[in-house]
Amino acid sequence: MAAELKLSHTAALILQAVQAGDGYGFSVMVLTGLPSGTVYPAMRRLERDGLVRSQWERQSIADAGQRPPRKYYKLTQVGQATLGASQRRYPLLAKLAAVEGDPS
Amino acid sequence: MLRSAAWLVPGQQRAEWLAEWSAELWYVGRSCRCQATGFCLGAFRDALWLRRNRPPDAPRAPWFESPARCLVSLGLVTAACVLLALRYYPTDIRLPLRGPIFAMLYMAMMALPALLATTSLRLGEVPANCHAWRWAFLAAKIALLLAIVFWGVLDLASMTGVKVHAGPIHCIVIGNVVALRWALIDQRRRCPECLRLLAHPARIGLPSQTFLEWYGTEFVCVKGHGLLHVPEIPTVSFRTQSWMHLDRSWSGLFS
Repeated sequence: MAAELKLSHTAALILQAVQAGDGYGFSVMVLTGLPSGTVYPAMRRLERDGLVRSQWERQSIADAGQRPPRKYYKLTQVGQATLGASQRRYPLLAKLAAVEGDPS
Repeated sequence: MLRSAAWLVPGQQRAEWLAEWSAELWYVGRSCRCQATGFCLGAFRDALWLRRNRPPDAPRAPWFESPARCLVSLGLVTAACVLLALRYYPTDIRLPLRGPIFAMLYMAMMALPALLATTSLRLGEVPANCHAWRWAFLAAKIALLLAIVFWGVLDLASMTGVKVHAGPIHCIVIGNVVALRWALIDQRRRCPECLRLLAHPARIGLPSQTFLEWYGTEFVCVKGHGLLHVPEIPTVSFRTQSWMHLDRSWSGLFS
């Protein structure tokens, strides 16, 4: 049932970026080129719908890097299935990860 | 800027929200300082989204939970406003109509068009045998709220020395719109049988699946009288909130 979820192109792009990138808000912004006012509400909506789940980085890891801890987002199983369905619906979506992985 | 936006975030989520945005800003600032302002402006949109999409609250104020407590609380505030009016009420006050009762009703009528434009007057589908108590409670609540707004604004105007025929009249009308809106929202969130505030909101369904399943929030009466289903997106089959009565066979769950 969850795999039948229809996402908008922007929501699917963000879901793809969560999987392809480092999984925090700013990395999704950099990958997608979308502004913060679009990315963060979309991430909350995806989390509310059970497509992603968030987890705070451990304080000890952040302290070791002398930086504040980040909140990381990760796709759930439902999110993975929905992303697969979205990639079939929006074929160009899968290229986002490929472009990011290309060093040129 | 982030701290200003944080005020829009519901209280329970505020600390975590601010921590996330502050941490992200630290990284944005290190990568490109010129992006920081634009990044922070997005925080307002995110905060507004959280404010709009927070689950409908369980009873926040225990003094409004039961109908008796609600009326007693409003009655005490009304009494305080009237007592203050007796102390500060100026004799040269100019109201649109003679007598405070008529003036109060006149102001309430003036607030009605704005109320109709800003909120729905529907109270949802409830069992037919619950109407008398509900209407009596709603009428009492509205009467007390109108008195609180009317006398409260006049008290403030008198205490601060503002002439009543200018700004305060508008303040009363605006206050009436807010008060009547609150009265309707509060009424929709009460059990139609015992008039207690409903509790334990649970979100059901998904916005993308409104065709075969309903999408909205379910509330439960703590006394076990029933469940209230509030649609998030009104559809042809589910236009307004509806009450589902639970018979006595369910009472074991609530004892």
